[in-house]
Amino acid sequence: MVRFILFRLMRATLTVVLVVSFAFCILRLAGDPSQVVLGPNAPPDAVAAFRQAWGLQRPLYLQYLLYWNGILHGNFGNSMLDGRPVLAVVLSHIPATLEIMGPALLLSIAIGIPGGAFAALRRDTATDRAVMALSVAGFTVPSFVLGLGLVLVFAVLLHWLPAGGREGWSSAILPVMTLGFGGAAVLARFTRSAMAEVMGQPYIRAASAKGLPWRTVVQWHALPNALIPTVTVIGFMVGAMLAGAVVVESVFSWPGLGRLLVVAVGSRDVAVVQCILFLVAVTMVTANLVVDLLYGWLDPRILADARR
Amino acid sequence: MAEPAARLIDIRGLRVAFGGMEVVRGLDFSIGPGEAVGLVGESGSGKSVTWLAVTRLLGPAADISGSVLLAGEDLLRASPARMDHIRGRRIAMIFQDPASALNPVRRVGKQVAEALRLHRGMDAAAARAETIRLFDLVGLPDAAWRFGAYPHELSGGQNQRVMIAMALAGRPDLLVADEPTTALDATIQAQILDLLDRLRAEFGMALLLITHDLGVVSRVCDRIAVMYAGTIVEAAPADRLFRTAAHPYTRGLLGASPPLHGPRRRLTAIPGRVPEPFDMPPGCPFAPRCPEAEAACTHARPPLAPCAPDHVAACLHVPSPNRVMAHEPA
Amino acid sequence: MSLLELSGVVRRFRVRRGPLRAPLIVEAVAGVSFTVERGRTLAIIGESGCGKSTTGRMALGMEAPDAGEVRFEGAPMPPPGSAAWRRMRTRMQMVFQDPLGALDKRLPIGRQIGEPLDIHRIGTPTERRDRVAALLDAVRLRPDQAHHYPHELSGGQRQRAVLARALASDPVLLVCDEPVSALDVSTQAQVVNLLIDLQAERYLALVFISHDLKLVRQIGERVLVMYLGRVVEEGTPEAVLHAPAHPYTRALVSAIPEPGERRVPRAVIGGEIPDPSARPSGCPFHPRCPIAVPLCRVELPPLKPLSASQSVACHLAHGDAAPPRVRAAA
Repeated sequence: MVRFILFRLMRATLTVVLVVSFAFCILRLAGDPSQVVLGPNAPPDAVAAFRQAWGLQRPLYLQYLLYWNGILHGNFGNSMLDGRPVLAVVLSHIPATLEIMGPALLLSIAIGIPGGAFAALRRDTATDRAVMALSVAGFTVPSFVLGLGLVLVFAVLLHWLPAGGREGWSSAILPVMTLGFGGAAVLARFTRSAMAEVMGQPYIRAASAKGLPWRTVVQWHALPNALIPTVTVIGFMVGAMLAGAVVVESVFSWPGLGRLLVVAVGSRDVAVVQCILFLVAVTMVTANLVVDLLYGWLDPRILADARR
Repeated sequence: MAEPAARLIDIRGLRVAFGGMEVVRGLDFSIGPGEAVGLVGESGSGKSVTWLAVTRLLGPAADISGSVLLAGEDLLRASPARMDHIRGRRIAMIFQDPASALNPVRRVGKQVAEALRLHRGMDAAAARAETIRLFDLVGLPDAAWRFGAYPHELSGGQNQRVMIAMALAGRPDLLVADEPTTALDATIQAQILDLLDRLRAEFGMALLLITHDLGVVSRVCDRIAVMYAGTIVEAAPADRLFRTAAHPYTRGLLGASPPLHGPRRRLTAIPGRVPEPFDMPPGCPFAPRCPEAEAACTHARPPLAPCAPDHVAACLHVPSPNRVMAHEPA
Repeated sequence: MSLLELSGVVRRFRVRRGPLRAPLIVEAVAGVSFTVERGRTLAIIGESGCGKSTTGRMALGMEAPDAGEVRFEGAPMPPPGSAAWRRMRTRMQMVFQDPLGALDKRLPIGRQIGEPLDIHRIGTPTERRDRVAALLDAVRLRPDQAHHYPHELSGGQRQRAVLARALASDPVLLVCDEPVSALDVSTQAQVVNLLIDLQAERYLALVFISHDLKLVRQIGERVLVMYLGRVVEEGTPEAVLHAPAHPYTRALVSAIPEPGERRVPRAVIGGEIPDPSARPSGCPFHPRCPIAVPLCRVELPPLKPLSASQSVACHLAHGDAAPPRVRAAA
């Protein structure tokens, strides 16, 4: 058991290190920040001074090591745009993102899982096909199309909800719906196939043969077993939603991490970008680690294989 | 065979079809209380489908007609709630692959306790104690430890014992065992058959053993019925069936089984293959493969008729009891 | 010089237990020796975990033994996958249990039967066509069935197609691992009869691996009984089945249900087949043996001849140890 966890922790840490290193190299190689910040017509002295101030003249490996040194001390550098410490900037944007990601995740689960289970129980009927069609629509329609569509209907035409910005809880509704539908669609599809597979297993029939009423068989044997693989999808969805947040926050002018990332990339504010990437990597890796451990706890066969 | 009134379960004219294709084509069968009956058939004979239909476990895709009387009550017309009550409590079933018939993420003891709480209204503590007692009864060593085991931690034979314990939880009148030993090794198979036999005697319950293995039913069953292409073609007490099988298919099966004792002989293979439900031959379903077939056999399906006391066969060539007398050797 | 000779072959598997623990070494085959001649049949029987399938694969050179030697036609077996080994495939072939898995779903069986000829470039295209037709005939399939796909054939027909393909390159040795276990009784008889005929016609050496003692009696001239990777008894079918010397063989024989045999008292042994990774000390059977004595726990009995037609690996069978004083009938 301990081995199980330790191994995964090691892997998680390695992933984070690799992601950050990759980002580091790419950002440094993708263009000179000084040009972007100071403009293409800046005099060479100003550029040199800028580079000197930000340590950009040092060799790459030294910058890399210094960067990691900084992280271990909690210092992610300063923003090139306004000079503030990056960590503070990034952390201040987190609550806004959580405000839409949290509810969106809950919405996905609340709609997706029951929807998928329902479709599986009524397999190959009209209901099943309708739910699956909706789900296909849900994950093929790009989130900005969905978002803009919702804005058009609910803000422009009906004037029920604001079109953007972060003011009052009603302004969160459309972004949450946009983020949540895509996730619900994926979850529905996955739950349906997991449920359908479980329903076809001999032990479901054996449970019925025992005399258990159908509802009990579904609730206590089928659904819980189908949820086990579904849990892993939820872990994956956390990452997908973070990515989705970038688009959704831009569409709705929501001042969260996603928007911050877009701005920082555009202005080559390397430190901010790296910090956000670090955070995203840690979040995703943690989410997947939690899901992995959960899976091991829910399905005793996994641990048995690891133990043998 | 017991009188109609005394029969535990009485099946008349059972037909099961899937999308127009008949898989069980008019089955008449009965089991008396405490009787050990064997139902023998190869794959495609419909033997498992029959019992899934009787216990209404087939799902909405199946068209079932006929009558199944359990102590006077027609199971085919019972409500779902009533069937839930009957399953496990009056009729219990165990299946072929015990490891896959148990929920893999639940402890086996809990699964048995679930049945106990359902049928005998026990609380958690009482159910646990009774489960351990049942585990002892079915020969699971170290019963208290096994309570908390998962199916993948037990062997095939042990899992089958768990299934038997679970089936016994409701104190059923009839235990239907569908190929219970096919997936097990020979020595374990013998243990399980022994166990089933012993439990049947101890609990006074009827046992139906569904299998393709004539030897297995020979060990445990008093009466044997042979199924072919969705109907019963012969039924007789076990001794009679093996000594004087009447139906050509039964004789073919016996001839195709390699003998363990006695002289080594060439196996008599039955030519051809079992007909598919969508491709049933006219008249007697066995006619295309039967060495004794003649024109009359393809006209109409021979009814299951008595050929000797307590021995029925569905074949035109089988003499009726009256005629047997005339042909008895001097 | 025997056609096939295995001397003390051992096969170990390493089971990984995660990145931080030493792997477990499991001995699947722990020292097996036998010879097979052309035109003779050797049957290997045992239950799950006895190592019979692994032995069969080593006999064909599909796996290299970790100790001991395999010799074919007097020469050591080349390592698996080498060019020499590939050339030897024409001389030896294997038939597996699952015919559907052994055949390519997307090719007609005529093509598949001819594939060995194509691979080893045997004969001209016309000759190959004729040969395929001859093979179809030899396994009693119709010529038009050459165009059928595997799923269009029955189980028995598929297995016969697999046999035809195995015989395409005119091998001298055929290893069959549970070739009829997945088939119905009547179909089993067809395929077993066919195997016996083909062996006689083509003077094949046949190694027949099965768990079914009755079949083995039908087809074997010599029988090897395996338990947990070792041969515990060897002899003619008559000797092994009707006068078994090893307690395991006795239990195995009495576990087999024979049609017509009613409730006879028999030696049903308890316990489970142990995990090969947790091998008991001394004689591997001693934990379950009804007549085990202290010596059995300590010393591994060697396989020694008991008579001209039988060898057994048991201290008590050879009189090397005194039988236990009082032992209730199992």
